[in-house]
This record gives sequence, structure tokens and C-alpha cells, in this order.
Amino acid sequence: MKQERIEAIEKLAKENGLDFFPVVFEVVSANTMNNVCSYGLPTRARHWSYGRSYDHQRIYGEMGYSKVYEMITNNNPSYAFMLDSNTEAQNIMIVAHCYSHSSFFKNNVLFQGSDRNMARHAAEHADRIDKYIDQHGLDAVERMMDIGFGLDAHIDFHKGLYRKAYPSRHIRERVVKLGEFDDLLEPQKSKQPSRIKEIINAILPPNPEKDLLWFFINYAPLEEWERDILDIVREESFYFYPQAHTKIMNEGWASYWHAELLHQYKDISPEEHLDFARTHEKVLQPGNPFSINPYYMGFKILKDIEKRWDKKYAAGESNITGRQKIFEVVKAEDDTSFLRNYLTLELADELKLFTFGREDDWENDDEDCDDDILYEIKSRMLEDIIEVMVRPRYNNWSPRIVITDASPEKICLRHNSEELGTLSFKYAEHALEYIWELWAAPVELRVKDDEGQDVVLIFDEAGFSTKYIEDSFTFEDEEEEDKPVRKTKRP
Amino acid sequence: MSGMNDSYKDIWELRQPGKRDSVRHKERIKKAIKENLRELVGEENIISSDGKRMVKVPVRYLDMWRFKFGPNPKSKGIGHGEGDPGDIIAKDVRRGKGNKAGDQPGEEVYEEEVELAEIVEMMLEDLGLPWLESKENQVEIETEETVFQDIAEKGLQPNVDLRRTMIENLKRNSIAGKPIFGKIMPDDLRYRVWENVIEKHSNAAVILIMDRSGSMTDDKKYIVKSFFFWMVNFLRLKYKNVEVVFIAHDTEAREVEEKNFFDIADYGGTRISSGLELAKSILEARFPKKIWNNYVFSFSDGENWDSDNEKCIELFKELLGLCQAVGYGEVEYSDQFYNWSNWRGKFSTLHDILARTDELISEKRFLKASIVRKEDLYDCLRQFLNVGQEKV
Repeated sequence: MKQERIEAIEKLAKENGLDFFPVVFEVVSANTMNNVCSYGLPTRARHWSYGRSYDHQRIYGEMGYSKVYEMITNNNPSYAFMLDSNTEAQNIMIVAHCYSHSSFFKNNVLFQGSDRNMARHAAEHADRIDKYIDQHGLDAVERMMDIGFGLDAHIDFHKGLYRKAYPSRHIRERVVKLGEFDDLLEPQKSKQPSRIKEIINAILPPNPEKDLLWFFINYAPLEEWERDILDIVREESFYFYPQAHTKIMNEGWASYWHAELLHQYKDISPEEHLDFARTHEKVLQPGNPFSINPYYMGFKILKDIEKRWDKKYAAGESNITGRQKIFEVVKAEDDTSFLRNYLTLELADELKLFTFGREDDWENDDEDCDDDILYEIKSRMLEDIIEVMVRPRYNNWSPRIVITDASPEKICLRHNSEELGTLSFKYAEHALEYIWELWAAPVELRVKDDEGQDVVLIFDEAGFSTKYIEDSFTFEDEEEEDKPVRKTKRP
Repeated sequence: MSGMNDSYKDIWELRQPGKRDSVRHKERIKKAIKENLRELVGEENIISSDGKRMVKVPVRYLDMWRFKFGPNPKSKGIGHGEGDPGDIIAKDVRRGKGNKAGDQPGEEVYEEEVELAEIVEMMLEDLGLPWLESKENQVEIETEETVFQDIAEKGLQPNVDLRRTMIENLKRNSIAGKPIFGKIMPDDLRYRVWENVIEKHSNAAVILIMDRSGSMTDDKKYIVKSFFFWMVNFLRLKYKNVEVVFIAHDTEAREVEEKNFFDIADYGGTRISSGLELAKSILEARFPKKIWNNYVFSFSDGENWDSDNEKCIELFKELLGLCQAVGYGEVEYSDQFYNWSNWRGKFSTLHDILARTDELISEKRFLKASIVRKEDLYDCLRQFLNVGQEKV
């Protein structure tokens, strides 16, 4: 593909108001593409799990199931990889597609704290991991990475990558003066002002902590290299978080713009245009009836927004056009708010969306039951559809686990989002083992089981066990509650 | 800054982290399999693989563990297409009970292809037929394995031994007064020569007897099938010259082909002695003790006719005279709904009678095992194939 064509597309994109990082295009073989895709970054710290995705990617690629035309990294400059077997028209489309992705990375609100130098930092991570492997052996390093990946969904994105440590523990003495009417209300009370001694931050963590990785990096008894490995995993988890939470919008945006730019681009032969149209159609098909294609969904919603706001603009109900509106939308939303705010019943009907589930609602779940499992359409209501799409995104596709109390003798955690479902004990067992290894003391996780019973899942020297508790406790949102103060009063 | 590079394509090719990590992944799978052999012995995917070279192994234990939701009645998916609420749009076929893979909802089980021989080897690598002896007419087999063990001046180009050739070259140059390496002449060339390895193998005949009477439920038969599956695969892998004979019986016994061994169901009563008797006559006719290492392994649930038990004990004794070892395994495994052996609890099974027969208790070459749970299979295999058993 000629340089002039890339420059022409770039110019066109800028004229349309797209604001992006410089993009470096690399043409690579299918094999290199499989490598880059399974790692998610051009160079990244090694781990066996990437070998697994590499194998799957390769096998699916060879069978022709999934072909990756391009892949772009959120970085300044953005690195875009294109397959060497792409046709010229496909490459023109990809160039337009990639400039749009880059503009999304640059402008969307979720990406504003993003490491724009991740391509280099990830390569440095890889070097560090290699060094640790030399020093401590592959098994030990892999184990620590397994643990890191096991917990890497549990970050607090909104508190940010870099956080200050909790204020340290100290004792504060406060004099409480007598109020004006205290002698009337409590005549027996001493006339002297009372002194209150407070231990600030007696409890670690001061508030329930959901950034598990951050907590262990800062407070677990780990060696420096172990801390660093967890740090690497956490940094990369933060880096990928915005991409996972804007997939629909981002792909919709890039598809919207590759179509628009190629429509405006005149230096293209009829054959190329036909080829482009075919590829566009392939990328933007509704796809498997039991899932949604994010390209298609995002594209359709953006188009719908544009149409609706153009109409409002024409009727004088809006002072911005449809195009201006979608620029605003992709800047300010993530997929959750995008779906909630802009998927309309009319569009859901047009796309024939439904929710489906097991016909028996999991009632016949006996191991000995030989009946086939049937799935039925559950609903076509807009709220239900949005809820099903949005629900797994709460808390980064994971149960909300918080650390409530940690001491050298014991660490206590709690599962806090039971309305989204109860934990799989089997998976919890292994995850707790990870925490046990990090904290080097017994781990207790308080959860509710399927029947609503309170259970403590324990992992200690003896392994995994469960303990049912009599007095039921209620979950309350203690996030906002001020809990750092353990008071001891002295008159 | 923008632009397109395709001149760097080859440079990207130089880095293949995916291949390296894929190798590591496979190592981890093997390790995981090794640590879970006990569980794997009863793995349906493998037992029913019917002679395929590659088998699919569910790798439950090599997961990326994380906190996850369990099965949730509220969990739903999103889809698109025609239909009204309540319309059935898809179904999952369950593979019947006892099948653990995939019937635990919410648990992703991913499968990896592994070579069957590799699993058999891992499982039974330190095992062998016990009390194996060198017999007359031992078979010499040229194995496919070749070993380079000689050097010659003539040979095939691909077999040039570089080190020896360089030495020859140095020698020749030194004689000519220039002790350096260089200018290789045809005379310098030395070739590696290989030979086929010849191994001597003991002749072994293994007779497998299975009870197929009405009291053998599918579950029990599955246990026996698993046992014989590993046994047969192990024998074929380890021994080049082994004859395996399959005998099925209810009250009558007959020799059957391997492929029919597990398929045909009989519904009669049980006479274990019928199988032992047939084994005895086959051994006498085809596998004289002078030439063959003979083994008889018989499996039953022990629901034998009481009148037959005495005869069985006699036959076991006679068989011991013809064999290196005789094994009897009893499957007491039963599912929760059909607990035949508990119902008959007051009657003793053959196993109990054997346990009281002093002559057989003292006989080390008589191997007894009882299997209550699937997990016992592994121990039973190891017990029957424990090559380290002390000599008698």
C-alpha cells in the first residue's frame, strides 16, 4: 500500500474532526499476528497462558474460523498491525479504522489515565520477568504471575493506578468540651471536659478495600521481586481495563468512521470499492444468534444516535447535529452508560434483540438428570436486554470481593454483591489459596451460599474448609462508612 | 511519524514468544495430568476413545483460578433473531450420568489433546507384569529404534560425523606439516553408522475374564472396562510379544474378540468358575508354561452362586500352577439407587471366601483387590502390575 494513500486517509480523518495519535503501521505475517494478538501487546512478559491463547488462535486461524485483519495498541504513537495477506482495499479500510481507534484512545474519558507508553513499558516488564526467572526460577515466577492474574480483575479503577498508602496508625487525643446545655441534659456527668483517646487506623484496611492487588503489593509480607511481579500484572490490568469497558463503542466508532472515510475517499477503483464493501459487510454482520457482535451493535447505536439528533437539530430541539452528538458520546461514555443511555426500544426491536436462559431456570440440576437442557427466549423488554448486557460488567466481570480486616494472624474478606450471584466455591478455594500464599496467614472469606446462608470459606495450613455461621448478618454498604476509629473512652 | 512498514516483516518473524509459551503450556498440562492420574483413570473421554491415538483430556486442574460466580438461576444471555418469549431456541445434550465434564454449569472445562501412549506411560511407567521370567523360544525383535554406534569411511552424506571428520583432516594436515583445519578431502570424511537395536522379549499371555451377568450394572461394567482399557493399552505399549485373550461369562464362558468384550450384555446368573475353567483349557492348549509367562486377571462383582465358590477356589489353585500370577478383582462399586450388594449384605461374596482360604492367603502370586470407588482403580492397577513384588 502506497504511503500517499495512507496520508490521504489521514488527512481526510483530520478534516472530519478526528483527533488521534500518530499511527505506525506494521505489515506482518499471520504468524506474527497470532503472536501479537495472543499477548495483546507487541512485547509482553511471558506466561504459559499466552501460549494457550496462541495455540487456540493459530488453530482457529488455520481452520479459517477467525481471521484477524488488524490489531492496534493504545499507545502514543499507536502501533497498528496489518496482515500481509490483506487486499489493498482491506488495508485502506484498516487504515481508516485504526485512525478512528487511535482517536478513541486519545479522547475517551476512561483512557485519560492510560499509560501512553505501554508498548515500551510492557517490554521492560518482560525484561524484568526474564531477570526474575534467571534469579528465582521459572516455577516460582510463574506461580507469582498465576496469583497476580488470579486477582487482576480486583482493582479499583477509579481510585487509580497510583495510590497513596493508608495514613499510618497513630493515637490521637482529643478534648471534648462541655456543651452549653450538657449539664441540664446529663446532670450526673462530670463538669470537667472529657478526654477521648482515639487510635487512628487501628484497623487495616481503614475501609473495605476492593483493590486486592494494590493491598497485597503494599501490605503483604512479600519479597521485592514478588511485589514487582504483582505490580507488573496490576499495571497491565489497569491498562486493559478501559479497552474491555468500551469495546462496543470503540469498535462501533471505528466502523462508523471507516465507512464514512471510505465514502469520502475518491481515489479508489470500483473493484477496490466492491472489495471494501464486502469486507465491511463481513465485519458488520449480526453474527452468532446467541451473542452480539460489538462492531455491529456499536455501529448501529451510533448511527441511530446520529439520525435521532439530526432530526432534533432540524426540529430545533437540539443545538448540536447528530455528528457532533456522537463525538460527545464517545468522549463521555463507557459501554455500560452507552447501552443504558442510547439503546432504544425501537433499535432493540430492529436488531431483534432478546434475552435467553434455561427453560427450567436451573431447577433440574441433578447430576443424574439425563434430560437435555433447553434454552428459551426470556424477554424482549428493553430494560431486561440492557440489564443482561450490562450486569456482567459491574465490578469488572467479577464478584465484588473486599478485604475487611487484615492482621499478621489472619486476613478477612467479604463477598459483597450477592444480588449478582453467589460464588463458585471451587474457584474460591483456589483463589483463597493464592491469598493465603501472599498473606502467609489464614484467610477467611464471608459469603452467602445459594440458600442465603452465611458461610465462611477458610483457607489455612489445613487447606480449604467451610464454616456455617448461626447469626445471620446483613450486607450493608460499608464503603462510605467511616470505620477507621476504634474508640477507647477515658473520663 | 505515520507511515507503513513492511520491510520489518522479517524482523517481527524473529520473535516467537507464542511458540515458547505454548511449549511451556504443554509442559504444564503434562504435569497437571501426572498429578491427577487417580482421577484420570476413570475418565470417560479416554476410556471410550476406541483406539484413537490422541485423546481429549479435560484439564480442570489447569485453570486460571479466580473468584467467579457459581451457577445462577438468574443468569441469562443476549441474542438476536425471531421468536417470542417462551420459545425454545436451543438445547444442550447431556451425556448421561456419571459424566462429570461439562455438566457442572458455570464451570468451563477446557480440553487438551494428549497422546494416549503418553498418559499410559505416565500412569504406569514403573510397572510391569510381575514375576516375568525368561522362557524358551524367547522372541528376538528388531525394534524401530536405531542407535549410531560405529564410524565408517564410507557412508551416506547426511550421516557425516563432523567431529571425526575434522580430526581426520587435522591429522592429515599435521602429517603434511600444516597443523591447521582446512581443505577437507574426501578421504577425511567419516560417517556414522547405525544399527537396529535387537531386544529380547519374554513371551507373555494375558487372559482377561469379565463377569457379564445380570448383576453387573453399567457402572460396574464401566469400572471393569476402565481397568482392562488401561491394562491392555499398557501391555501393548510395554511388551512387544504379548497375547491377550478375552473371556466373557455369566454361567457359561466364551472367548470373545476384543471389540465385543464390552458390548454384549448377558443377563444370566453367575458362575465365575466357568470363566476360570475356559482360561485353564486355553492355557493348556495354547500357552504351555515352559514357553509362556501366563497371567489370568478375572473381574466380577462377586455375586456368585454359592455352590460355585468352592470350585472357584480349586480352579484358582490349579491356575496358579500354570501361571506366573493370578489376579481376582471384585467390584463393589454401586450407585446410590441400585445397591445390590448391600441388599444382599448377609451373603458373603467370593472375595470374602477367598480372604478366608489359607492356601490362597499365603500365596503371594495370587492377587486380590476390591474396588469400591472409581478412584480405587488406580491402586488396583498398580497392585496387579507391581513388578517389584518379591520373588517367590
